[in-house]
Amino acid sequence: MNNAMRNCLLPGRDRWRSLGRRLQSLFPASVLNYFIALAAIFSINFILPRLMPGDPLQAIYGQEALVAMTDEMQAQLIRQFSLDKSWWDQLQAYVLGLLRGDLGFSYYYREQVSLVIMGALPWTLLLTGLALIIATAIGLILGIEAGYKRGSYLDRGLVAGLMFLGGFPDFFIGILLLLIFAVSLQVLPLSGAISPYAGLEGFAYVMDVLRHLALPLTSMVLVQLGSIFLLTRNTIVTLLEESFILTARSKGCTEECIKYAHAGRNSLLPLTTATGMRIPNLLTGALFIEIVFSYPGVGSILNTAIDSRDYPLIQGILLIVTLTVLTANFLVDLLYMRLDPRVRYAH
Amino acid sequence: MHIDPLGEIHHDPLARIGLIMLALIMLMAIFAPILSSYSPNDYTGKIFSPPGKDHPLGTDSMGQDIWVRLLYGARTSLLVAGAVALLSSSLSVIVGATAALAGGLYERFCMRIVDAMISLPTIIVMILVAAYLRPSLPLLILLISAFSWPSGARIVRSQVLSLKERMHINASRTFGAGLMHIVFTHIIPELTPIISALMMQDARRAVFMEAGLAFLGVSDPMVISWGKMMNQALAFTYLDVWQWWLVPTGLALSATLMGISFLSFSLETAMDPRLRKGNVRF
Repeated sequence: MNNAMRNCLLPGRDRWRSLGRRLQSLFPASVLNYFIALAAIFSINFILPRLMPGDPLQAIYGQEALVAMTDEMQAQLIRQFSLDKSWWDQLQAYVLGLLRGDLGFSYYYREQVSLVIMGALPWTLLLTGLALIIATAIGLILGIEAGYKRGSYLDRGLVAGLMFLGGFPDFFIGILLLLIFAVSLQVLPLSGAISPYAGLEGFAYVMDVLRHLALPLTSMVLVQLGSIFLLTRNTIVTLLEESFILTARSKGCTEECIKYAHAGRNSLLPLTTATGMRIPNLLTGALFIEIVFSYPGVGSILNTAIDSRDYPLIQGILLIVTLTVLTANFLVDLLYMRLDPRVRYAH
Repeated sequence: MHIDPLGEIHHDPLARIGLIMLALIMLMAIFAPILSSYSPNDYTGKIFSPPGKDHPLGTDSMGQDIWVRLLYGARTSLLVAGAVALLSSSLSVIVGATAALAGGLYERFCMRIVDAMISLPTIIVMILVAAYLRPSLPLLILLISAFSWPSGARIVRSQVLSLKERMHINASRTFGAGLMHIVFTHIIPELTPIISALMMQDARRAVFMEAGLAFLGVSDPMVISWGKMMNQALAFTYLDVWQWWLVPTGLALSATLMGISFLSFSLETAMDPRLRKGNVRF
């Protein structure tokens, strides 16, 4: 039986396959991974507290929370999560709650977990997004310049200096900056994101936000810079030996044109891949930096949640951070498809 | 790959700096009892005493000698680093190599899990798990290893996939060599440089994770850890104690991380022929 005959007999199968192919050209193949990752997080959030020894309500909410709760509240929670019923019913209650956007109740903040996190997430995204953009821009330019003049003093100095900086753990860079600029020199604010009770508006408010952002942002950029720089530099070093550079040179392109339009442009591809892989680290790095500077983002909430054993809040943070990371990864994949047409046509 | 990584990195100044840093930390860890006359859990009485003859780095908020806690913290860091490097890289090799050799559904299954785990923010997952379990040192090692093997497995798999099609392995197969023979006499030895690079990465991540989890306060409170010392010290930045409490601890942690990453960077450069050519040297 040849292929054509088989397709006649099984028309549905072929149709499904072409639909799959069309979907693949729209979405990156990695989408399935993201769903698996998300499912893993849901399972961890559901199973972990129920595996703990003792009363499930105590395991979910922690001992300290139970002491603060009234009997009625406990009864209501048991009913809400079907904790007195079978695992299957509990799973149903859990999934239904998630579908309604209900991540549980934070007993420390006395508010819905989702509201607590949504209040903090913009600060974290502001910090992470700005850090990513600034670090990528600076790292790219420095990497292109250093890679183009490989072996020069500029190159050696940058490689050594940025390797040294990249060796520090991110929260210690934050601590050092805090000690130098906020504690010793006292030129920048020690903590927070805005001056409390200042009632600033307009331009003054923006400046205030920026002043508070300066130190956390600088520490994040310094940590990120090293790997972006090294990757760009090494890509440029290998790219410069390719024949299209020789062609560009022989047709009379200027140095700047070769550097940025030919070599630099092509070094964006590995950089995009690396950025996608770095997003989880970037976001978790931001959480640590926020704790150091008491910046009111997700990191500070996480710290409070750990200190007060507010488990539903930790779980919610895990879920939201994972969602953010996966969304960012998805966007990077889409960007990669735009940047490199070969990926799109490969399927 | 006929490169002798150890011989290569021997001439690299970066690798030497890394080795010296690591050696210092190791000496601190090994000779901890000799280098200080206190025990790490002793309360010597006075709190916040500045550095002096009795206490090289002064005492902390509970009157404990900071120098001795720094020494024993090195033990925790290096123990976690070594154990995680061994455990996690073995997991990577087992999963990566079996996936590449077995192929089929098993390979797809393994690689799906690997891909999914790589896209997770593992630190937060570990924070949550640690917050529930309050892990002791062995449990912490297991926990970190359980979340750091996937990226290595991916590298090992791609390497084994290309290895198993090489001429000499095909030749060996034609001579009737069994799977086990090929794995142990051809594939594993060829993987050594990659495995050593993996172990460095795992070790670095482990040191960072251990310190990070302790910094957040989700590890065993009885374990002496640099991360926890930094967390405690951070509450007292308004006093002068940070100069001999916070900074030395952070520097010790940074030296460990830097030592490992310098070594692994130099090893990677030695193994990547495109970057070698004597061009990346300082």
